[in-house]
Amino acid sequence: MASYLVKRFLRSFITLIIILSIVFILVRQMPIDGYFQNFEKLNEAQIQNGLHEMGLDRPVFVQLFDFFKNLVLHGDLGTSRIYRAGVPVAEILAPKIPISVRLGTLSLLVSLLLGLPMGLVMAKYKGKFLDHLGTAIIVLIEAVPAAVYYLFLQFYGTTALGIGMTMFSEADLHNPVYWILPVLSMSLGNMTYYAMWLRRYMVDESMKDYVTLARIKGASETRIMFLHVFKNAFVPMVQYIPTSFLNTVIGSIYVESLYSIPGMGGLLVDVVKRQDNNMVQAIVLLFATVGIIGLLLGDLLMVFMDPRISLTKKGGDR
Amino acid sequence: MSVLKHPKIDKLEQSVSSEIKQQFSQEELFSIAPFDEAETERTGAGSYSYWRSTLRAFRRNKIAMFLLIMLVVIVLFTFIQPHLPGQFDPNAASFEVTATGQSKPLKNSPPDSVHWMGTNAIGQDLWARLWAGTRNSLFIGVMVALIEALVGIVMGVLWGYVRKLDFLFTEIYNVLDNIPTTIVLILISFIMRPAMSTLIFAMSVTGWIGMARFVRNQVLIIRDRDYNVASRCLGTSTWRIIVKNLLPYLVSVIMLRMALSIPGAIGSEVFITYIGLGLPADIPSLGKLITEGRKLLASPSKRYQLIYPTVILSIVTVSFYMIGNAFSDAADPKNHL
Amino acid sequence: MKKVFAALLCLTMLMGCLPAMADGEVVYTTLYASEMSTLNYLTAGAQWEQTVGANVIDTLVEYDSYGNIIPGLAESWTANDDATVWTFKLREGQKWYTSEGAEYAEVVAQDFVDGLKWVLTAANDSGVEYAVETAKIVNANAYYAGEVTDFSEVGVKAVDKYTVEYTCASPVPYFLSTLTYGCFMPANGEFLEKMGADFGTATSADTMLYNGAFILQSFVPQSQHVFVKNVNNWDAEHVYIDKIVQSYNSESATISPEMALRGEIDSASLSNDIVDDYKDMYDFVTKDRPAVDYSYFYCFNFDPQYEEEYDPANWLIAVNNSNFRHSIMSAFDRVFSLYAIDPDDPESVLQSTVTPATFVSVDGTDFSALAPFDGVADNYFNTEKALAYKEAAVAELTEAGCKFPVQVVLTYRSDMSDWESECQLVKQQLESVLGTDYINVVLYAGPSENFLSATRRAGKYSLMRCNWGADYADPETWTDPFVEKIDSETGLHTGNSYNKMDMMLDTENAETKDILTAYYAAVAEAKASVTDTADRYGKFAKAEAMLINNAIVIPYMVSASDYQITKLNVYEGEYAVFGVTNIRWKYQHLNDNFVTTAENEAAAEAWREAMGL
Repeated sequence: MASYLVKRFLRSFITLIIILSIVFILVRQMPIDGYFQNFEKLNEAQIQNGLHEMGLDRPVFVQLFDFFKNLVLHGDLGTSRIYRAGVPVAEILAPKIPISVRLGTLSLLVSLLLGLPMGLVMAKYKGKFLDHLGTAIIVLIEAVPAAVYYLFLQFYGTTALGIGMTMFSEADLHNPVYWILPVLSMSLGNMTYYAMWLRRYMVDESMKDYVTLARIKGASETRIMFLHVFKNAFVPMVQYIPTSFLNTVIGSIYVESLYSIPGMGGLLVDVVKRQDNNMVQAIVLLFATVGIIGLLLGDLLMVFMDPRISLTKKGGDR
Repeated sequence: MSVLKHPKIDKLEQSVSSEIKQQFSQEELFSIAPFDEAETERTGAGSYSYWRSTLRAFRRNKIAMFLLIMLVVIVLFTFIQPHLPGQFDPNAASFEVTATGQSKPLKNSPPDSVHWMGTNAIGQDLWARLWAGTRNSLFIGVMVALIEALVGIVMGVLWGYVRKLDFLFTEIYNVLDNIPTTIVLILISFIMRPAMSTLIFAMSVTGWIGMARFVRNQVLIIRDRDYNVASRCLGTSTWRIIVKNLLPYLVSVIMLRMALSIPGAIGSEVFITYIGLGLPADIPSLGKLITEGRKLLASPSKRYQLIYPTVILSIVTVSFYMIGNAFSDAADPKNHL
Repeated sequence: MKKVFAALLCLTMLMGCLPAMADGEVVYTTLYASEMSTLNYLTAGAQWEQTVGANVIDTLVEYDSYGNIIPGLAESWTANDDATVWTFKLREGQKWYTSEGAEYAEVVAQDFVDGLKWVLTAANDSGVEYAVETAKIVNANAYYAGEVTDFSEVGVKAVDKYTVEYTCASPVPYFLSTLTYGCFMPANGEFLEKMGADFGTATSADTMLYNGAFILQSFVPQSQHVFVKNVNNWDAEHVYIDKIVQSYNSESATISPEMALRGEIDSASLSNDIVDDYKDMYDFVTKDRPAVDYSYFYCFNFDPQYEEEYDPANWLIAVNNSNFRHSIMSAFDRVFSLYAIDPDDPESVLQSTVTPATFVSVDGTDFSALAPFDGVADNYFNTEKALAYKEAAVAELTEAGCKFPVQVVLTYRSDMSDWESECQLVKQQLESVLGTDYINVVLYAGPSENFLSATRRAGKYSLMRCNWGADYADPETWTDPFVEKIDSETGLHTGNSYNKMDMMLDTENAETKDILTAYYAAVAEAKASVTDTADRYGKFAKAEAMLINNAIVIPYMVSASDYQITKLNVYEGEYAVFGVTNIRWKYQHLNDNFVTTAENEAAAEAWREAMGL
């Protein structure tokens, strides 16, 4: 196991380097005028001077080498150029990460708290009214574009709760009431996912022989449902949780925009469009790292939940 | 919307990959018999037809049948609508002439007998735009699904069958899966002009990898199943094993994936339009109509302009979703009896 | 007794202030959609970012609400006879304050030298450096390029503690108008040095010093900005808002109208889509004050570089035909397409000259009404004329080997929905007048990022709405986009970045070449006239009229004023035809309720009258 983990870490590390290099080269293919605020009014000498100051006139591989050198030797991600000119990237990201983590964690928790019981009930009453009702809710949420129902939730939800439409001030950001709607908005999508998934696995699981055996043994239906079926059905879902967390953070762009939450949701789109290369690089580093660790974590969680699964066995999924 | 990945797919991948695989060296265990085409087709089964049974099972699902019919009607209608009487060009702005002789676009006119759903801010007929938009969005969705399936299957089979490529493909997968799609989308919008082909390309350029990985896993598993080993022993060519033994096994899940990736692509189109990288002006789409409609949410008497495209999008999404599920159930031979 | 009386007097005076205090301070709250990338007024090039500098830094001169230059930090000034040396006498006792409102230092002449030095230091990569060159400051270019290393050779000097002197390389009659721009704002040299690269970074309010009407009290990126009134400012009596709170929301376009209605914010602009509805429902939908600092005009491209499928070579033949250009200009119903920009009053933004009306005037006559512009109106929308031009063009162009229909690539930016709508209307309207057998208008969507370099500069259009912003209050600024660009090695024209028309000077195309030769000669002549304003303006008008009468460019509009709901009376604020003056909150009152449509119209009327419009 230990040697497997070491190997896997090494490989993830290589993947990370490749990802960073590709992104680095890609963003440098963008037109140069995005680097200037007043490109329109500049002459050739000024443009060249600007590029030189930014170090963009050097060959891309030299730039890439420097990037890795600074990153590895000094842990330096560079400074932002456009998003917040002159500010170290790490300093910009530092206050945002906890906010995104809070939003992501809360909505993940809520979606699990709502989604799992929902799936459980649906599986238990398969084919009955509650199952159909659940399916209807799931389909409805999946069908209406998030961009639309988020807005409706905001317009009517804030009136119902009697709060401001956005987190207008620092105080609002620390007021739990203001977090209700954003968290709810973001958990709906994941909730349907967990409910749907759990129902499917539980229905399949309940048809297996060991369940029949348990029944013959005279175990109570509730005991069978929770101890056997739910536990086994939950195993494959566990793997998805870390990835789902990352997707929640990246996908929070709509919600963060609507409620003025200063997280990381729209940040990537923003900095890619504004060609703030160092910011792009740092965010990609962050997301890719979380993504890769998430995969690993998901696998480990699965092993933890179900001792039958072994990662070191040859010929697995990955 | 996380419709792209589906429990059923994972379920299938999971269940199949947990099967124990064994490596046989055929030469050790068997001697080669001459190949006899007629012999290979001879089976003991009666008049069972896979496709007929699948259809029969599918037809039994009333809701799915209803949605399928509705979807077909919608698709047909998007093509018929322009030829009905009293229709407008979705891009043409209707206008009126003021007292001073100045032409003035008929903006935001409410629904009436001429403009059945009213007009938008520059006098374009919303009814015509809604159907043109549905047609374009569906086209994009279907194209993305087809490209993903085609490229995904070919790459997946290569990945699974050619052992030397495994490391390479796995690395490509890890990399592509971790480069944020937004970067790719924005870069593509720099390199190529906004157009339908650009959008389709942008959406499929990373989308195929998921399908490829799935096919690869299946190939790895099924390749060494007993019946394939047996088939190989009988001298069947690799190509024939892939086409006859392997792909049919995957049909139901591939179809499900495709059915789900159509609404997925339409959903992405809404997102891409939201971040400002959408289609050009003269190609209406559901994403565009919804993005335009969102701005009207603050304007109570015009909110209907947001409702129409949302309803159509919802119907299309639900339909594909339910049909895909029902079809994958029906395609499972276990449900044929 | 006297003491008691004095005490009472003091008390009454205090009481006099109290009503305002009792009501609480006057706080103006708004939403903003994108975060500033810098607070540093010495580099900020985008208008939104210049909001900071405009309100927290006082400039040498200011404007009143009617566009007249009035003293600011400079109490008085003089210029020498040929307008090359400008001397300013500073107000004494003005202080720099920190974000907490603590006194830091006195504002002195050296601060202007230090500010300009920062701007001209190439390493700082200032976004407003070009404006120093516009003002023709001696050696500004050379210092920036590193050819001059001693800053004392640059034309700015602190003569004594309160006297600052600028020297221009050649006469700059419009010099005062350039002074409100960021590059001429003062900065405390010692503080600049102390902060180094951290000066004005968009992280917190304490990265800068303040000497203006407001002090930026706190700056929390992507959350909130708080400005408070600088009670110690020399002109504090004209500042009527105590506090300004700006809160971040990137969806503000969608939700700010609703928030304003709910009373959560004091001002919101309305997108064209919802204006109608709001007008029907509320009587407080108002229009922002018109601005003439940007002019929009349609350009014909003389160096088409787009894809072969749209046949750029064919366009090049067509565009060099005067009748063809005139046919499009005459067929173009500009008011119709302007409904996409200002659905309510398109004619309010329509322009018949490149230089916007009311930009400058001489001897009581507006520049756009000067004699050379007589008759330009004949070039505009007229279906009969258009068809006559079409007939003539078809005859001439067929002979020249031009194929019909001519593909007209109409380019716009894909994320600007109003522009997209406009292009759809233009296409429909042009094709309906001229017929699709004559032209085929192709809508060509440009990318949302780096739009200009991907489209206009790259020559990816045949007809396109272009715009230019004024850099100073003189008609010369509107000739800048069309200025000849010549490669120093080959001596050939490389084309201005707008319509590349100067490239025609190197071709055999006699007709266009003659027009342009005459035009550039006229511009040169106008630039040479520096002492007599009437003569200078007349010559610039003559040059510009040549472009319009020959249908080289089609003047179109000025920036449309936003529809909004707001508690500010926008007509009270400082007004200038260019610069950061227009975004100052000074002089503006915050009303208890939204300004009604009627009140806004009355204010607009009064303002126009006072301006003599």
